[in-house]
Amino acid sequence: MNPQFSNKPVKIDIGDGAAIPLKKDSGLFNAWWLTFFGAIGIIIYLCVTKPDPYWRILQFLPDGILVTFQVTILSILLSLVIGLFTGLGRLSRNKVINLIASTYVEVIRGIPLLVQLFYIYYALGRLELFKGLPPMTAAVVAMSICYGAYMGEVFRAGIDSIDKGQAEAARSLGFTRAQTMIYVILPQAWRTILPPVGNEFIALLKDSSLVSILAVSDLLRRGREFASESFLYFETYTMVALVYLVITLFLSKGVSKMEQRLNYYERD
Amino acid sequence: MNATRPIIEIKNVYKFFGQLQALHDVSLSINSGEKVVIIGPSGSGKSTLLRSINRLETIDSGSILVDGKDVNSKVNDINLIRQELGMVFQSFNLFPHKTVIGNLTMAPMKLKKVSELEARTRALSLLDKVGIREKAEVYPAMLSGGQQQRVAIARALAMNPKIMLFDEPTSALDPEMIGEVLDVMVTLAREGMTMVVVTHEMGFAREVADRVIFMDHGQIVETGTPEHFFTSPEHPRTQKFLSQIL
Repeated sequence: MNPQFSNKPVKIDIGDGAAIPLKKDSGLFNAWWLTFFGAIGIIIYLCVTKPDPYWRILQFLPDGILVTFQVTILSILLSLVIGLFTGLGRLSRNKVINLIASTYVEVIRGIPLLVQLFYIYYALGRLELFKGLPPMTAAVVAMSICYGAYMGEVFRAGIDSIDKGQAEAARSLGFTRAQTMIYVILPQAWRTILPPVGNEFIALLKDSSLVSILAVSDLLRRGREFASESFLYFETYTMVALVYLVITLFLSKGVSKMEQRLNYYERD
Repeated sequence: MNATRPIIEIKNVYKFFGQLQALHDVSLSINSGEKVVIIGPSGSGKSTLLRSINRLETIDSGSILVDGKDVNSKVNDINLIRQELGMVFQSFNLFPHKTVIGNLTMAPMKLKKVSELEARTRALSLLDKVGIREKAEVYPAMLSGGQQQRVAIARALAMNPKIMLFDEPTSALDPEMIGEVLDVMVTLAREGMTMVVVTHEMGFAREVADRVIFMDHGQIVETGTPEHFFTSPEHPRTQKFLSQIL
């Protein structure tokens, strides 16, 4: 019985993220490999055999990819901040703070993201202060508020997964509650938190396609623009879907590599 | 300061876990430099009593004074009181994200604003003392249980506490590693440290304890020298317990 070994990171599973490849699927012909190189292969094949319209579509999309990444990265950073405070709030012994944080999570999780996007966009628009708010800002705010709630759960679970003895050891040395969190708990919890955050990043990237309804020129919106001019709906959305797929699969590979690296001070 | 005043004064302490009475009217005074060993069956309240001294457990009534300061009073900063009370846990609780020396230097640097050089020098001499200086730069997960516990003792000592509390420090160890941890504790006792030790190691009690306290059902049942416990324990419950562990 050695409690030190029970410190192994707990894997947090928060619903609708991207599929992160399992270690045991690491053979040459696994699903990831097949899909990733299949998608790239199809893109190349289409562009080479039918450059018009496929090559034209592909040239039209990069601006949108950039915007998609902008929305995703800004939203993930902001939602990390919101998530940290929400997670701490959910673990707080202060009943009022706890209730506020929990209510926020309940409300957000109960409303579809698309509805939230509409709501925040038009609600902010009614406030004098936010008149003429750029769609991009509204989109980032809405995505962050939504994902902040999910991120809060990731932080809560991550912090909760650290053995209680760690906090006791720190407190017995004379660290305050806050110092214990900053110097002892969070530096350990991030290893548990990072993989699901990577997962959320990928999920957010996919959900960011919803911001196209707010007149943000993301990847999907660029596709719609091209399609409505050329009437080549099927061809355009084929390309859009393939590009999303390649990006998502590439990122999920990155997340799984990161997950493996995070265990550097474990003895197996 | 009054030199004759006990460094730990526990008066009429009661503690409940829901319906369960963990401590029932416990009073105990410990003098500076004294070594007190607390024994008793599991669930007797011995760990709860120890953890109440540095307020890892809050008591329901009574008072606990450490160096004259009430640990449960809002007037006193518990974090400053805890700096005077080193604690060693059954499960070591080393910080796995820090190297051995990082475990030792963190609290002095963050809490006492000791310079890194000074903290490292002191940490290395403490590691020398517990016999694992060569492991300074490795992570705790690379150490055996006995080594981890010795690091944990050194970590507690790094804050220069006046008192050391040990909560079953050898109970999670494989038998062959118990000796190395007890040796460190014996050395510490010889140097005059005030120690309160919850343990089942009667050999250790016999070697260093000034006083042995037997607890059962949240109460102090019997107090005496180690010799008294080995030769003529009075209370039937003490006799029964000792016959089981010796």
